[in-house]
Amino acid sequence: MAERVFITGIGMITAIGDNVAGNLHHLRLQQSGLGYSSYIDTIYKNVLPVAEVKHASEALFALAGIPVKEGYTRTTLLGLAAMREALQDAGITDVQSAPTGFINASTVGGMCDTEKLYFDIINPEKTGSFLQYIDTLDCADCTQRIADTVGFSEHIATISTACSSSANALMFGARMIKQGMLPRVVCGGTEALTRFTLNGFNSLKNVDKQFCRPFDQQRTGLNLGEGAAYLVLESESFARANNSRILAELSGYCNTNEAFHPTSPSPDGDGAYEAMKMALAMSGHSLEEVSYINVHGTATLNNDVSEGKALERLFGDKVPLFSSTKPFTGHTLAAAGAIEAIYSILAIQHGIIFPNLNFSERMEELNISPVTTLMEGYPVNHVISNSFGFGGNNASLVISKYEG
Amino acid sequence: MKGKCYIQAMAAISPQPTFEGDIFSAQLVHTDSNLLACIEPDYKPFIPGNSLRRMTRVLKMGLTAALKCSQESGITIPGPIITGTGKGSLQDTEKFIKEIAEYKETALNPTPFIQSTYNSVNGLIALQQKCTAYNNTFVHRGFSFENALLDSMMLLQEGATHTLTGAFEEITKEHFYIKSRIGFWKEAPTDNRELYRHLSPGSIAGEGATFFTLTGTPTPQSYAAISDFRMLYKPRGGKLAEALKSFTTSPDLIITGRNGDSNHEHYYQELDQCFPGIPQLPFKHLCGEYDTAGAFGLWLAAQIIKAQQIPATWFPGTEHLSAPVRTILFYNHFYGEQHVMLKLERV
Repeated sequence: MAERVFITGIGMITAIGDNVAGNLHHLRLQQSGLGYSSYIDTIYKNVLPVAEVKHASEALFALAGIPVKEGYTRTTLLGLAAMREALQDAGITDVQSAPTGFINASTVGGMCDTEKLYFDIINPEKTGSFLQYIDTLDCADCTQRIADTVGFSEHIATISTACSSSANALMFGARMIKQGMLPRVVCGGTEALTRFTLNGFNSLKNVDKQFCRPFDQQRTGLNLGEGAAYLVLESESFARANNSRILAELSGYCNTNEAFHPTSPSPDGDGAYEAMKMALAMSGHSLEEVSYINVHGTATLNNDVSEGKALERLFGDKVPLFSSTKPFTGHTLAAAGAIEAIYSILAIQHGIIFPNLNFSERMEELNISPVTTLMEGYPVNHVISNSFGFGGNNASLVISKYEG
Repeated sequence: MKGKCYIQAMAAISPQPTFEGDIFSAQLVHTDSNLLACIEPDYKPFIPGNSLRRMTRVLKMGLTAALKCSQESGITIPGPIITGTGKGSLQDTEKFIKEIAEYKETALNPTPFIQSTYNSVNGLIALQQKCTAYNNTFVHRGFSFENALLDSMMLLQEGATHTLTGAFEEITKEHFYIKSRIGFWKEAPTDNRELYRHLSPGSIAGEGATFFTLTGTPTPQSYAAISDFRMLYKPRGGKLAEALKSFTTSPDLIITGRNGDSNHEHYYQELDQCFPGIPQLPFKHLCGEYDTAGAFGLWLAAQIIKAQQIPATWFPGTEHLSAPVRTILFYNHFYGEQHVMLKLERV
């Protein structure tokens, strides 16, 4: 019998807070992190809203707990800030105290910094300290700088499956624990806003000029965001022997590919349906036991139809309460799965359901609509958290209240 | 990672003629440009023309190697697809960065953006095979393919009957120049046939797409068993030697990622000291150095252990095996950071 996997520490930074408490505070205040960029060099600065972390990279060094130095990208700094909190929250002062893996997720690595230097990097006439950023072009750079700063050496990996990257990182870490390979793995992802990604999604006509409106009839697209989040996963036996404080259980997960289209989900949500169904089956819980679904809900035309249809197919006329928290954080791509996994834990811990901001009109294709007001004192026992991405990469997680 | 898996089928697109024909009579392709580029196959038998036109080089190479591997496996039900790539589609990434500047962020074609996404090859494989099973992409330099392999072995342990597991990488002229600025490549033009005789800083660049069908149980077709496997991140002090010695005792053959780079040669020397007298074959003169070269090395090791034969023209001086090869130790590292050891057994 494989071990259960417990979550024993969480850390995050997003546009609505530099840590978990800050995020919870602004979720409760129903205060969105969306606005206009102060840091990306783009013509869309005052046109396309983004959810930016409210610190210049220089100030992020302090949150990351390191002196200012070359070669540390915004992606790395956001990651380090979240990592510091996750380790502290789990009471880990030395990651070497037990074999600990680190599974990170990233979609464009250090593009946030390299895109500003790229034309110098390829120009033989230019030289200088910017050359220290050359290796930050890839996704492993942030992982290794975070690992080297805090001392991970046991097992490291970086996953990139677009918007489902950090959900897959959590799954991979949990599976390593269940196979008895490691007693403890820190999993999550980090994402900094870039001109590259903003133009990418904008060229796909997927970005809303207004604040995004998930599951709304009038929605026209997503808003990008940035942030990082990590969760400390421990095997049941390790957590008990270590006397760890258990926040929740990662009770189920599923990764499927939709094999439908390179960037669009199927209209009936086959991939989303399968991912949720299988993740729930793994958790051993029934449809009726699901208290809340933190949906992927990007507010793109295609995602919300597809995901909504999948919800209706799976739950029939008893679709649980659901909401998208992307109007708070923007779509943070590689970090989204981990950020929303933490929100799912907060929902369980505090008995809250977060409102789906900016909703006013039910979609004509659906018979369901999201929660629009903050609900407090609502018992939340099992949450499904969805992350669906480009390339048909779908992932669902089930996070359950710890009951011994 | 304990627990065996078996290589049921393989396919490799590389700078050598590895995609078709008999590799044991193949010629050794050579260049002194310090960049070993892939011999690209005819893609038309694998990819429909209208898709082919849109796809860039590494997507075509990755998808084609994956499809060929699936065909060779004789397994018709598609299973999990897991890949590794250090850099993904560099050509698309470079193109999109430039078009953003050139067109001042307006009227951009989204195709290079979509194709620059690291999981785009995986998505294409799944799409073409109508495969809705597990799908994952690892992007961690010299641990990219290796984590894909680890994931695959875990899936087989969890009950999957087979996986399609691979790696793909391309080198562009621009990226070759970028990496030359931080000492990745040798300064003097170096013929790949002479790679190991020129110990100096840096190696020669390469690229490739290599896929494997892995199964949990052996079949008459199996090439080899992967019986143990370990990754080591930035080993300091005596950690590497310690790990190598505890990993295996007396393999019949060692296949190494030696690459003529004097900056990191000392790791291979540690290997030499751990296993004196055991014959070694290096593979980087065939494929060059790149994040996922380890997948090519594994492909070569599996060829040799199955055929009990060395591709003679590729290894002048060690054309023949002196004794049967029952076990192979494979050891590779990527610029001293990500170290990998694998044990292969004859089936």
